[in-house]
Amino acid sequence: MGTGRGQLSLYSLVKSLADNKQLLGMRYAEWCIAAPTLEADIAAAAMGLDDIGHSRVLYGSLRELGTPDSAADDAATYANVPYLDRPWTEWSEFVAANAVLDSAFTLMIEALANGNVEVLRSRLKKMLQEEHYHFLHGRSWMREAKAGSAIDRAWRESIEWIGPEDADVDALHREGRLAYDARELRRLLAERIGGSAPAIDIDWARWDRVRRRTEPGGIDQATLEMLQGLAEKRYMPTSG
Amino acid sequence: MRFTRVHADVHEYEVFARKTRVEPLHQVGSVVAPDDDLAMAYARATYDEERWVEMMIVPKAAVISLWAPGGDS
Repeated sequence: MGTGRGQLSLYSLVKSLADNKQLLGMRYAEWCIAAPTLEADIAAAAMGLDDIGHSRVLYGSLRELGTPDSAADDAATYANVPYLDRPWTEWSEFVAANAVLDSAFTLMIEALANGNVEVLRSRLKKMLQEEHYHFLHGRSWMREAKAGSAIDRAWRESIEWIGPEDADVDALHREGRLAYDARELRRLLAERIGGSAPAIDIDWARWDRVRRRTEPGGIDQATLEMLQGLAEKRYMPTSG
Repeated sequence: MRFTRVHADVHEYEVFARKTRVEPLHQVGSVVAPDDDLAMAYARATYDEERWVEMMIVPKAAVISLWAPGGDS
């Protein structure tokens, strides 16, 4: 997967954005009774709802964006960053995801909302308003929490997710579908978070261009069942 | 008790909102946060369930009270 095909369609990029948004929303929601303050619990729940809502809009836009570059729709093709594969165990991981990864996804939404694809121009603008508050939350907590190693990991995975120069993001930018290219996305991410992008050495030969990551693996069965609603169905009364 | 304050220094903010342009802003609640950024994020997360056309926050320390219930007025 991720090799041997020509130019990927916009579909794959938006599908990956939707997958990440859905998982990020779920991971935020997992902290809605575990954050350090009651206010942060409420914010985690609200941001989780936002991101799950954003993923629904993005999934709903897919059929107007070309054809899938991978066939099956299961855990193996869930195109999410490794950071979201497993539940977070530390608040610092929440903070780093909120400050860095969420900002990377927002910048891609901004690039799509200001590109020339009408369905995305019209549907994505509201997300940017909501994401502003995610950014404020992440930035403030980043000042407070000691999230060094989690920040480094979130940075690496954000850069991997944006992808190498001269790959699909740059091609989509040349076609006007994205307002920013890969280099600009990295620069804007550093600017938004404050400071310059850390020097990160990525082995792009290992990059899976559909799943937008170098690390193998993916979400576990429990996460997949949660996302597909199967986990809830276990607790539903049987009919009859 | 698990819900402890983790920030060294926090401030109280009053939250004001209105649903239409013609009605006055009114206080809908308050939030506690270490800085303006987080106070904005918390105000929006906590009080955004209604369709406000406007919302703002004010540091409680900036409010000058003229009189209040129980005082000598």
